[in-house]
Amino acid sequence: MSGGPPTDAWVWPPDLPAPGALQAGTAGGISTRYPQSDQHLARRLISSLRESRRRLGGMRASDLANVLGAVGERFAAGLDNRVVTEVAANAGLTPAMARVVIRGMADTWTTDSLHRLLRSEFPDPAALDRFVDGAGREVRAAAPGVTLHIGAGSVPGVTVTSIIRALLVKSPVLAKPGAGDVALTARFARELHRADDRLRGAVAVQYWPGGDPGWEAWEREVLTRADQVVVYGGDDTIESIRARTPAATRLIEHPNRLGVAIVDPGGAADADHQAARAAALFDQKGCVSTHLVLFLGNHGDAARWCGRLAASLEGLAHTLPPAAASEGELSTRHQLRGRLAVQRAVSGDIRCWAGNAGAWTVALAPPELFEPVGGRTAWVVPVSDLAGCQQVLAPLARVLQTVGVAGLGARRHAFAEALAAMGATRIVPLDQIPFPDSDWLHDGSRPLGELVRWAELR
Amino acid sequence: MTGESGSFATSSVAGALRELAALFRGWGAQDSGLARTSQPAGDDAATGSRRGAGGFVGNITAADLAAGDAFNLLALRIHAFQRASNPILRRFWDKAPGAEPAVWHEIPPIPVMAFRDVAIVCDTPEAVFRTSGTSGRRGGRGEHHVASLDLYRAAARGNYRRHLLRGVERVLMVSLIPDPAVVADSSLARMAGFIADEAEVTGTVWAFDPVMGVDVDLVRNAARGTDPVLLLTTAFSLVHLMDALGSRRLPLPPGSRIMETGGFKGRVAEVNRGTLYQRVERTLAVGPSRIVNEYGMTELLSQAYDGVAGSSLAGEAPLPRRHRFPPWVRTRALDPATLSPLPPGQPGLLCHFDLANAGSICHILTEDLGSTTGEGGIELAGRAPGASLRGCSLMAESFLRLAGR
Repeated sequence: MSGGPPTDAWVWPPDLPAPGALQAGTAGGISTRYPQSDQHLARRLISSLRESRRRLGGMRASDLANVLGAVGERFAAGLDNRVVTEVAANAGLTPAMARVVIRGMADTWTTDSLHRLLRSEFPDPAALDRFVDGAGREVRAAAPGVTLHIGAGSVPGVTVTSIIRALLVKSPVLAKPGAGDVALTARFARELHRADDRLRGAVAVQYWPGGDPGWEAWEREVLTRADQVVVYGGDDTIESIRARTPAATRLIEHPNRLGVAIVDPGGAADADHQAARAAALFDQKGCVSTHLVLFLGNHGDAARWCGRLAASLEGLAHTLPPAAASEGELSTRHQLRGRLAVQRAVSGDIRCWAGNAGAWTVALAPPELFEPVGGRTAWVVPVSDLAGCQQVLAPLARVLQTVGVAGLGARRHAFAEALAAMGATRIVPLDQIPFPDSDWLHDGSRPLGELVRWAELR
Repeated sequence: MTGESGSFATSSVAGALRELAALFRGWGAQDSGLARTSQPAGDDAATGSRRGAGGFVGNITAADLAAGDAFNLLALRIHAFQRASNPILRRFWDKAPGAEPAVWHEIPPIPVMAFRDVAIVCDTPEAVFRTSGTSGRRGGRGEHHVASLDLYRAAARGNYRRHLLRGVERVLMVSLIPDPAVVADSSLARMAGFIADEAEVTGTVWAFDPVMGVDVDLVRNAARGTDPVLLLTTAFSLVHLMDALGSRRLPLPPGSRIMETGGFKGRVAEVNRGTLYQRVERTLAVGPSRIVNEYGMTELLSQAYDGVAGSSLAGEAPLPRRHRFPPWVRTRALDPATLSPLPPGQPGLLCHFDLANAGSICHILTEDLGSTTGEGGIELAGRAPGASLRGCSLMAESFLRLAGR
């Protein structure tokens, strides 16, 4: 636990009374404090946000992009060691990794990025401001009232991105960051409050320990009163929120995902380094993070390439060192390596390379044994062709998201067609895996489009 | 490998397992009332068989195992025949550091997760025990192929008698652990079946169905009798029983005792054991001194208990609650980062060496956290928690559910 004063894990609109009592807690590696559970306050919070909608709605979407983008740019420019250290401690990352992650995420918060996002989703972004011509009719896009964001993860910046998306479509937002995303979210929300009076009333952040019985009434209140809910998290979180969200409330789910890479080394000399970076960024905790590498080639070539991948991961262990692992994470790695050693005794085809103190692992092993254990573990499976890739990926179809490709050359489209048919929603060059553009099709949906409803006027 | 231990590599595995079973029964006969009770069917132990009295065990007695030399000698002999009879283990050890161990702890352990992938057995298995799949472990079910059920009974018996049946004349066994006739692949159910065979057990009520759960009415009927009850239960089923009874009391006859197990592996980890015991005392009138926790694993044929049921009532001061294995098990706590052994009192990953696992693999690295105590006990600290902060990347537990493994 880092020293220093606790991080205030809440940011409320100015018309709400100061909280009477604060609850102390921990979020990741930092001490936090936040208002105690009070369902009456929860009701007032949502009401306050709802009242801000008219003022927020009076801003043009393009002006919102300017204001939000300016905050994003200022935030990235002002990133000092104090902020990075706090975010790193909170997220369980090393400061070096946290800095790269914040900068990478902040690239999608710039004015240019937000305008690009608006244009990519709305041929005429003014549709967010008024009815516009829509081929024989007039159309308008509007978000339904207050958006509740519930984050359960620890990747810093995920909640900020979600807040920006809601505001861009003029929806006031209450954000509950994941435990490891508290520090960055609270800081950014305070910047938004400072930037524009109209945003002050439209942005609220409140951390609470999700699933805690003491917060059940609070959760029920906000889930019942929000107009749409965006939830990130694992199966348990998603199922719990789904069960308690009213049927009439729009629920947008972003469950955990699995990242894959497909590499033909003949056409991509640097693929080992790119794959290592894709596995190492976010310490492999991002939804885009690569766990499984399908290597187009034979076993011998794959083994030699794994050696290079291992060397790249070792290099990254020094330039982007991993955070200290928990006992459970270390145990998982020992179990994995031991399992592979036993499996190697069964079949000599299995190989394993490992960094010091569990810093990284490369496994050259059959897909039947694959499981995403994290801790910068790259599982390499040699395949001969596209059909081989499809066979390995078929059981993963429902959780596929990002597939990074390298060296495919003219086969790129054929692979992309097959991967999209299987469920992959983001097929990108291997080196672009870690940080999607602002207008990426997040889990197969348009990030703004999934927040709005369209109205037509004939 | 020493010449002496190597010479046993060609011994009949079945014969070695028989000798080990006899050796363990010898320990069971000491101080556990075995000599005063009739033996269950198939158990040929008598007080005279305290020595293995065969070419494999030699003159080693059960009491000798508490000392390092005898334990080490047997460990290396077992290692030699496991190496000779199981090509998977041989190749595993050949490629591992420490291929020529001089002491038992130099024999490379295998991870408990390997039981999910490979059948590790040195002879034709008589039974296959499977992990529950609800143990909180990441997906998949481990399989322990057991070459000798007689050895399993011998390894289990002495310790459960010492900790559960000490001073007992008559007892009605009520089991919230499934009947082994119904769940044949549960090592815990099989052990419950062993206990049901004991001479002191006047009757057995199997009050748990894998589908229907705890049958509260059967427990209630058992409580109406006069014989003390020995309640065998998982912590999970005990919580269910308490929930089902609510505020109603169901006092068990005087002298009743409880063995509860599990709860260090996920599902009821959040239930505070002290609170649970208080609730049990209020509801079933069985005090904490008569409740014993058993620590066992499908992958180990020996078990550890954290107390002797009712010992304090017999005028003895209760020992601190530390789990104790029989003398043919050694446990080390290993540094989670480096797997170096840790001194007593320092928590780490538990690594057990169980001679009763001679038919499969003795040295097992677990995912359990705990520390050793100076006097041979272990203090459990639960399962090593996973990532304290999880991201939005799919992790193994969800993945394996998705993949149906």
